[in-house]
Formats: sequence, C-alpha cells, structure tokens
Amino acid sequence: MTEALPDAALPPSRLGARSVTRRFGPVTANDGIDFDAGRGTVHAIVGGNGAGKSTLMRILQGLDRPDEGSVTIDGRPVEFTGPADAFEYGIGMVHQEFMLVPGLTLLENLVLSSEPVDRLGQLDKPRALEAARLLERQAGVVLDWDMTVDDAPVHVRQIVEILRLLYRGADVLILDEPTAVLAPAQVRELVVLLRTLRDEGRTIIFISHKLAEVMDVADDITVIRNGRKVASLPARDASKQKLAEMMIGEVLVQPSARAGETGPAIVDIKGLTARDAAGNERLMELDLTIHAGEIVGIAGVAGNGQDELASAITGLGDVRAGTIHLGGADVTGLSLAERRARGLSYLSPDRAAEGLCLVAPIRENAIAGHHRWPAFCTSGVLKRRAIARHVDELLDRYRVKRGSSDLPAGSLSGGNQQRVAVARELDGNPSFLLACQPTRGVDIHGIAFIHQCLLDFRDRGGAILVISEELEELIALSDRIVVLYGGRKSGEVARSSAEIETIGRLMLGGSA
Amino acid sequence: MSGPAIAPSGGRGRAIMDALTPLLVALAAAAVVLMLAGHNPIDVYGLLAVESFGGVKRIAATLSAATPLILTGLATAIAFRAGAFNVGVEGCVFVGGLAAAYVGFTFVGLPAAVLIPFALAASVIVGALWMLLPGVLKARLDVDEVVTTLMLNFIAISLTAYLVNGPLLAPGSANSATPMVDAAARLPKLMPPSTLNAGFLIAIGLLVLYWLWDRGTASGFETRIAGLNARFAIASGIDVPVLIIKMMLLSGAIGGIAGGIHALGSVGRFVSGFSPGYGFTGIAVALLGRGSAVGILLAAILFGALATSGATIQLFSDVPIEIVNVLQGMVMIFAVARFGWIIARRRRAA
Repeated sequence: MTEALPDAALPPSRLGARSVTRRFGPVTANDGIDFDAGRGTVHAIVGGNGAGKSTLMRILQGLDRPDEGSVTIDGRPVEFTGPADAFEYGIGMVHQEFMLVPGLTLLENLVLSSEPVDRLGQLDKPRALEAARLLERQAGVVLDWDMTVDDAPVHVRQIVEILRLLYRGADVLILDEPTAVLAPAQVRELVVLLRTLRDEGRTIIFISHKLAEVMDVADDITVIRNGRKVASLPARDASKQKLAEMMIGEVLVQPSARAGETGPAIVDIKGLTARDAAGNERLMELDLTIHAGEIVGIAGVAGNGQDELASAITGLGDVRAGTIHLGGADVTGLSLAERRARGLSYLSPDRAAEGLCLVAPIRENAIAGHHRWPAFCTSGVLKRRAIARHVDELLDRYRVKRGSSDLPAGSLSGGNQQRVAVARELDGNPSFLLACQPTRGVDIHGIAFIHQCLLDFRDRGGAILVISEELEELIALSDRIVVLYGGRKSGEVARSSAEIETIGRLMLGGSA
Repeated sequence: MSGPAIAPSGGRGRAIMDALTPLLVALAAAAVVLMLAGHNPIDVYGLLAVESFGGVKRIAATLSAATPLILTGLATAIAFRAGAFNVGVEGCVFVGGLAAAYVGFTFVGLPAAVLIPFALAASVIVGALWMLLPGVLKARLDVDEVVTTLMLNFIAISLTAYLVNGPLLAPGSANSATPMVDAAARLPKLMPPSTLNAGFLIAIGLLVLYWLWDRGTASGFETRIAGLNARFAIASGIDVPVLIIKMMLLSGAIGGIAGGIHALGSVGRFVSGFSPGYGFTGIAVALLGRGSAVGILLAAILFGALATSGATIQLFSDVPIEIVNVLQGMVMIFAVARFGWIIARRRRAA
C-alpha cells in the first residue's frame, strides 16, 4: 500500500476512516466512507436521520466492525476488538445518555474505575481532587466536585463525562448530539470547552444535525447522506445553506409567516398551577390563550414546567389550580377522551413510548383513538375495509414511505414514524393541536414536511401550541413565543422580534 | 409494557416458528432424559402419539382432557391481552366449580335446560367476582396483579376445601366432597362412554367468539393496544384502568366456567383438590398458543394428549409415567421461560 504524502496545510490525521462500508441485510448503512480528523481539530460529522452517522460512530468506537475498509489511527489501519480496545488507542465516547452513577459525587464519578486509593483501599480524596483540579485548569472550567450527580445540572454532568474520559487518558473525544439537552448559554460554554481542549492538541469528533452549532465549533465538516460521504470541507468554506443542501440534496424553503388575522380564542388557560408525578409544583399561575389560526410556541430549558403544561392540557397530569377552556367549554375536569371529543389533538414528545405503538401494525397506529368514529365502526364492530382504505389514503397524503400498512410501525424510519403520528393527530379536523417536540429525531427533510403540515393546519384555522427544545423550530413556526422559566412565564416575544439571543436570556431567567 | 402471547398480525410464518420452538426444544431435551434412562426417544414419542390420537376413542379422551385447558388458557390469554398478568385462573376454577356444583345439587327437580345454564351462570358470576379485587387494585392503585392473583389461588383452594369439609359436605360422606349434582345438571356426553361432553363445544364456541372479538371489534382492538403499550392507549383516549378491570372480570368469568364445566361434565360434584392445576397449565397454554385462538386450541390439545397418554403409556411399555411428567414439565418450562422474560422486561420498563 502506498501512502500519499500528507498535505502540508493539514494537520496529520489522528482518527479516520478508509472506505468504511457496513451493510445490514439489504441496507447499506455506510458506503465507502472516508474522512480524516486531524490532531488538534474539531471535526463535525453532519447528516440527517438515517444518513449513517450512528453506524459510523459505532465503528469508530469499536462497537461495530466494518464489512469493508477500516478505521485508521495516525494514518494506519487498525481493527478494534471492542470499545475497550478503542479506548486503548485513546478514543473515548460521550454518549447522549450520560453514563454517570447517580448517588455518587462528581469527584467519585470522575475517578471511578481507576480511582487513587490509600493504604486502606479507601478513595484517596486529596489525590483525586488534585487530579480533578488539574483537569479543571486544562479545560478552563470550575466545578463543585462534592455535589452528587443527582443535584448537578445536565450541562455539568456532560462536562464531568468529558473530563472523565480525559482523566482516563483519552485524547480523541466523540460527542454524539451533545447539545440536544442544553440551553443556548450552556451550548456556548460547551463550545468554549471544546475549543480549549482542541487547542491543547486533542481531537474532537462532533456529531450533530444542528448546522448553526456545527458552523460555530467545527474546523472541518464531513457531510454524509444515505450512507455515503457527500463532502469533507473546512468550516470556513461552508455555510448553513450549503450544508443543508448537501444533507438533503435540494434547497429547503423556509416556512413563511401567516399574514392574516387570527380568529376567536380556542384554548384559554387561566391561573394554571400544575404538579409533576412526584407532587412538586412545576408550573405556577400560567395564563395562556391560543386563537384559531395561530401557532404559539413554548420555549424553555427542559424541566421548567413544559411537561406539566402539556399534561395539564391533555388531562393526564395533576392540576392544582386554575382552569382550562377548550372551544369555550371548561374542560379542566374532563378526561383525555372527552377533551379529544371536543377537538383536542395531542402529538406526544415520546414517539416510541407514547406517540405510537411500535409493535402494532402501522394501520392500527394510524387509526387508534379514531377507531370508534361512525365511519370506521358500527355498534362495536370495526369496518376493516373502510379503515384500510382510509389509512392508506391518509398515509399516502402524508407521504409515509412504507412497505405495507400491516407491518409494525417500528419497521419505519424515525421520520416516517413521526409522519404517521402527525397524520393521525391532524386527521378529522381537530380545532386544537398540542404538538410536543414535533420533529424530535426527524431528519431535515422530514422536519420541513412536518412544519409545512403544521402551517397548513394553522392556515385552515387550526390553533397550535408547540412545545419544543429547538429554538430554531419555534422561531420558524410560531406567531408568538412564550418563554417559561422556573414554572412561570418569563416573557413573550412576537414573531417579528424573535431572536435567539433574547429568547435565550429569557430561558435562563433574565429579562428581554 | 409489552404483551406476552400477543403476536401482532403479520409475519405469520415467524409467529408459528416462535410458537413451535419451545415445543421442539422440550422434545429434544426430554429425548436426552429418555436416552439417559435407557429408552429410545423415538419409540416413546411414537407410543405417545398413538396413545393420544390413535383412534376415535383416544382422540375423544384427549379432547376431553383438553377441554378445561382450552378454557383456562383462554381465560389467561384474555387478561394477558390487556396487559394484566393474571395467574389466578386456578382459583377461579375452584370457586366456579363449587358454585356450579352447589346449584347442581341444590335445585334438584329443575329441567336440564334451566338447571345447566343456571349452574354455569353461577360459576361465571362467582369466577368474575373472584377477580374483581385484583382487577380494581391493579387498575386503581397499581398493585401488582401477579402477587394478588397468586395469593388468591391459595385462598380459593383453602376456602373451598373448608366448605366441602363443613357446611357443604355430602351427608354420610367421609370424603371432602359435596353431594353429586342432579342428573339434569350433568352436561350431556357427546360420545359415550367417553367423558367428552358438551363442555368441549362450549369451549370451542368461546374460542370462536374470542377470535371474532379480537379480530373485528373496537373492544378487542382497544384491549390489544392497551396490552402492547398502555401509555399509547391512554394518550389515544382509551380508558385503560376500566379496560383492565373489565378484562380481569372476563378472565375470571371464563376461569369460573372452566370449573363449572369440569364439575358438571366430568366430576359430577365438587371435591377437595378439584383441579390438578388446570389454571397453571392454562398459563402455559396461553403462552405456547401466543394468545391466538388457534394457538390456544392446539396447545390445550398438546397438554391434553400428554395427560391422557401418560396414564396409559406405562401399561404398554416399561416407560414410567414420571417420564411423561418430565416431558410435560419441560414443555411448560420452555413456554414459561418466555413469561419470565416478559416479566423482567416489564420491570425494566416500569
């Protein structure tokens, strides 16, 4: 094998891939992927859902092996026997779900599995703390090491997770969608941290589908689509529009605002105070009105009352005080079924556990909750043919790519699963849609389609409340954005003046 | 939470393979035991097949033995469908059997056309009521129904044993048994002298109703969805707690009629130790049959065949009945291993 001379302008490759191909049955998840992450750089890998990012990550960290091609370390092909083997080469992974032990302190988590011990075999805390301080200085952060994991905010846990890998000697960090759980200010902290680590010569692989962050943090970007590499390019040569085009292969049209007037109030919430499942008050004295032909967005860092607002509106939660009117009638004491009968639709944030029944056929998922409508059911007996006809027509309209509607919903890709859920919830002319995380885990193409469905519903006179962790989504969709902080409304911004910075401040309790 | 014996429609070939696997593994494992004991497994299996299905009389005996198992399997499967792991069908067989027997020996003189429905209705009502408490506890307070229904079995067995030793003991009898039911209360035999009786037809009729309910009714659809994913069902507007109570009552009712049919069809009265574990074998039947009507029928016939052939096989060979019990136990273990897996998965999900 002849090695090409390295380009003098590029730092030498620390971790890379050579023609990595991985097939699962008839599906080729990775098809001849090449890339090189240079030492001391942040290399972003972007692509839509199902593009093959996860498979590539599993291969890079030794969890899976390529059918063809290989992973390279310092330019040489290697074969990992497993994640532990990859770690021997200095490759560590920060997972989406953090792998910290609850109940232990941050310090104990940091040193876990290679902790310094004294002669009695007890944790040698001064030495552990010394190591922790050293890492703090390197990373440019300050942490309260005696805090337990349970008390630590999510971004602190993430930092501990990263420092833990450094403590154990990793110099290549793979971060899988690291910003999904963070508020804008916390994202900026993470970006600073990653830059500091990069400047010390560490290599960072950053997987994301959020293009703004990628542009912000990455030195180099590799775009993959349908399992193939589209391009690798320096971030300075990229733009969001260009990356988006590469990811989906066509130009996206930004959703447009509705110019017209809004109609009468559909949902009217007054003085709503609600508790979570553990009985803690998480939402306090909220007033909120949503009109026909209007999309209202709810922004906030996760855990600031959004979940309780949603479960109060569906009737599944614990309402302590206040009233909810739907279409002029007080529904505060009614069940979800009764609210649905009065025009409520509910798109669950948890598609796999609540929004769909993945082991049941697609057809049953598309009809569930509507199966007793007179068109589909006479005196308790289902009209199987009418249901089949209706569902196929509905799913065609929402362009759900499927083999047969008899297959389990779990056989669909994430984006198509969400289309089934959206199709069902918009079926039958509801007056109000509660859409929680409507495009979570959906690729960029599916996002555009679902956004268009929501906008069309609004333009037909529907009222929508969107609760989302994606600020860009809220800004793209909402006519007004209400920001929650600590269970209270910390501000409201109209579409015309909606800026990420303003909303970000409100999300952290500041003022507009 | 995901259902056990609930194969979603589609992938029928795989479903059949999944259902056959425990049986084949059990036969293979039992073959090893047979060889170690010095028997030729092929000969023994051949003999079992002949003893169970070789001739009209033997088939009738097998179907007769399968009758209570069809019903207890069905009772278990219905609760499973709704996501309730009812292991209390055995208790329903006891209380239902006693209720039917009581009506059968008390209301002497009524014509059969009145007395039989009356006695069976009594077994249905008592069986359903027996499951009311665990159903309500699970639906309203999330009390684990595996524990409550299992414990209720012991109460049912001991309570009925007390009653037939005291208040309901047949006059002049030293055995723990009620008086014989009136002749008019006996279920008609289909092929005398075989014990196969009209109860088999009732069981088949209920299986057909179950198939229709599951396949084509809104209630069957809601039950299946609730069993597969309760959160999804709730979000769709289905009242899952009420549904669980209803299905537990229905499960108890079918368990009760299993006891009633056994009392009126085979035994002719209620005796202490009335059921040789029909309710527990019903769990294996429901699991092996994967909750489908046809699957339950075939699994019940399999266990019925093992029960009848086991009794006669030692007459015609040197294979002791214990070997047949080993085989039966192994099929049950491999079928129920799935049950353990389901419970473990449910605990993780909770």
